[in-house]
Amino acid sequence: MRHRAIPFVALIVALLASGTHAQSLSGEYKLGVLEPLTGPLAFEGKRHLEGLEIVRDMINERGGVMGKKLTFALADATDPTVAASEANRLITREGVKIIIGTFSSRLCGAASEVAARHNVIYWETSCVDPRFNKRGLKTVYRTEIDATGFGWYNVEFIAKHLAPRFNLKPNQIKIAFLSEDSSYGQGVTESARLRAKQEFGMQELAAEYYNWTTINDMTPIVLKLKQLNPDIVHHIGFGNDAVLFWRQSKEQNFLFKALVHAGATGYGGSDFGKALGNDANGVFALLEPGPGFRLEALKPEGQKIEREFREAVQKRTGSYPLGGHQLAGPGLWILKLVLDRAGTDDPDKFNAAVMSLDLPVGSSMNGWGVKFSETGQNANERVQHYMLQWQNSQLVTVWPEEFTTARAKWIPLGAWDQRK
Amino acid sequence: MDPARRLGPAQIDAVAQLGVSTVLLGGIYALIAVGLTLIFGIMRVVNFAHGEFLMLGMYLAFWSFTLWGVDPYFILFVAIPLFFMVGLVTYVLVMKGVITASHNVQIFTTFGLSILLQNVALVSWSGDFRFVRPWHLSVALRVGGTTFNLSQVVAFVISVVLTVALFAFMKFTHTGRVMRATAQDRDAATLMGIDTDRVYRLTFAIGIAAVGAAGVLVAPLYSVYPTAGLQFVLLSYVVVVLGGLGDMAGALIGSLIVAAVEVAGSYVFGIAWKEIFYFLLFILVLVFRPAGLFGQRGSETLGA
Repeated sequence: MRHRAIPFVALIVALLASGTHAQSLSGEYKLGVLEPLTGPLAFEGKRHLEGLEIVRDMINERGGVMGKKLTFALADATDPTVAASEANRLITREGVKIIIGTFSSRLCGAASEVAARHNVIYWETSCVDPRFNKRGLKTVYRTEIDATGFGWYNVEFIAKHLAPRFNLKPNQIKIAFLSEDSSYGQGVTESARLRAKQEFGMQELAAEYYNWTTINDMTPIVLKLKQLNPDIVHHIGFGNDAVLFWRQSKEQNFLFKALVHAGATGYGGSDFGKALGNDANGVFALLEPGPGFRLEALKPEGQKIEREFREAVQKRTGSYPLGGHQLAGPGLWILKLVLDRAGTDDPDKFNAAVMSLDLPVGSSMNGWGVKFSETGQNANERVQHYMLQWQNSQLVTVWPEEFTTARAKWIPLGAWDQRK
Repeated sequence: MDPARRLGPAQIDAVAQLGVSTVLLGGIYALIAVGLTLIFGIMRVVNFAHGEFLMLGMYLAFWSFTLWGVDPYFILFVAIPLFFMVGLVTYVLVMKGVITASHNVQIFTTFGLSILLQNVALVSWSGDFRFVRPWHLSVALRVGGTTFNLSQVVAFVISVVLTVALFAFMKFTHTGRVMRATAQDRDAATLMGIDTDRVYRLTFAIGIAAVGAAGVLVAPLYSVYPTAGLQFVLLSYVVVVLGGLGDMAGALIGSLIVAAVEVAGSYVFGIAWKEIFYFLLFILVLVFRPAGLFGQRGSETLGA
């Protein structure tokens, strides 16, 4: 009798277990997803889509949005013109009321313009063009800080962390700015220049821009900077340009105390480490949290969701979340919080829900908090950012120190062959 | 505060290094441009897909290095015949049909081919930046105050050898003469019994083989990604026009000029200015010497 009961009990347990996992979702909610999936921006666009899909699945395992299963209507935004026409298609053909996207600062302006014209909500997770929220568009929101926020954090790190470790006062720091010329590069660089000069009185030696798609030799700029002898090189790179600058700086034996970058491209991308191995040691990049990040530094709910996010990314990609995942996924998660609160995608009620959401730092994935301004921009001080450093082929979190177990090394950077 | 204005030992070293960089960079540009100038000069077709064949060469080097650990220099021996075949096939399948069509049709065809190849690469190998890191990439030779990157030196030497070989081939062989004759006047060449279709097939195949080899050689120096070709292709048009269409030696010298303008302009005026300078040069050449700095006057309209 007892033996015959076992399969029966197991069946009941299995049913209960499956019941708790897949809560009954009534109907579907279709979200427009606009990312560059072909063309020159595709390498990051696809990573963003992967982040969105991972969090979509997490959301559906946790009750969906507004009790419905979340689904995507995909569109490929290869350039600004296509982004605008595809946004149009999502709205008129697919009938979506919310579009999420587009990673690139080249695309988000055009796409959001179209959405706003149709009174459709545009939810940006990653583009950092400072102009995005300054156009008076009513239905446009951004979860990530803008490029000026990156510049703000970089100078904070240089003045408050690096300067004391060099035994220099911030106003004794000599800094050279170098950047690719996208609106992202310019936004970060110009805001960093302004804050470095006005707030800390740092000495600016140079400010150079270039087009990353056509730069084939960095030697001239390396030689020029070498003669100016800066303490810090503030370089916003995109791809090949970062590798080229670093390799040719080594060839020319250009020595400086630190290189600081911001963002998931260039020095902040995994490709940089792959290209240079341990030669990459010492470079700083402002990013979302990486290895070394202390979960315990977050609030309990933040710890839980961050841990689950990491596990989901690990399961799908076999690695720690990359920059693209960490912008797109957590951005989508905040959208879920807003939608559940609003209970509707009606733009006015949605807006009220966005404005009422108030989460302190450490509440969500990446240790982010939420507090939107009237213009639909999440606040600099809530969207906590972190300085990572290349250490033996890995980007590890080194600052702010309360959030991490790892510590910044090679300060100042020694000879090129001593960074082991 | 302009560093170029202060003269001292460091300054002299810097100038010497700029010279070295010019020559090495010029070598890379020449390597890419010789194939283009050959096709341009003989077939009178602007191959907009040139950069994509370069990209395919880079991927060949990347995969051979990543999967089997083969050094790009060994791959060169495979790449040249392989890309020769790719050139033949592309000619037969794509170019043959449009060789007598108007320039617009040719431009649309090669441009379409370019987009097609970019997206094939994107779908097959993703958009990630990839890198080839053979041992010679991290070898820097120091002479006096200047530094030479070994991979760049090799690329330069091979590009000079390749250019000279192509030049000699065109100048001294029977096939070369036949190719030049076809370039000068297709109809007259046909009347003289020259199989122009065969000449075009051969020209296209040699041009693609050259750019495939270039791709293999530059793969260690730059990142490999589906649109990597665009980084160089615009510039190779400048080189080809500067040197004169179809002129191998002109391509080499044109490359050095473009590299010099780029390197010196970046150093003295700032890196943002480099393209302004060489496109200014491009426009000036088009206005005053439309056949190129070294081209024969009137040759730009030959065979049109």
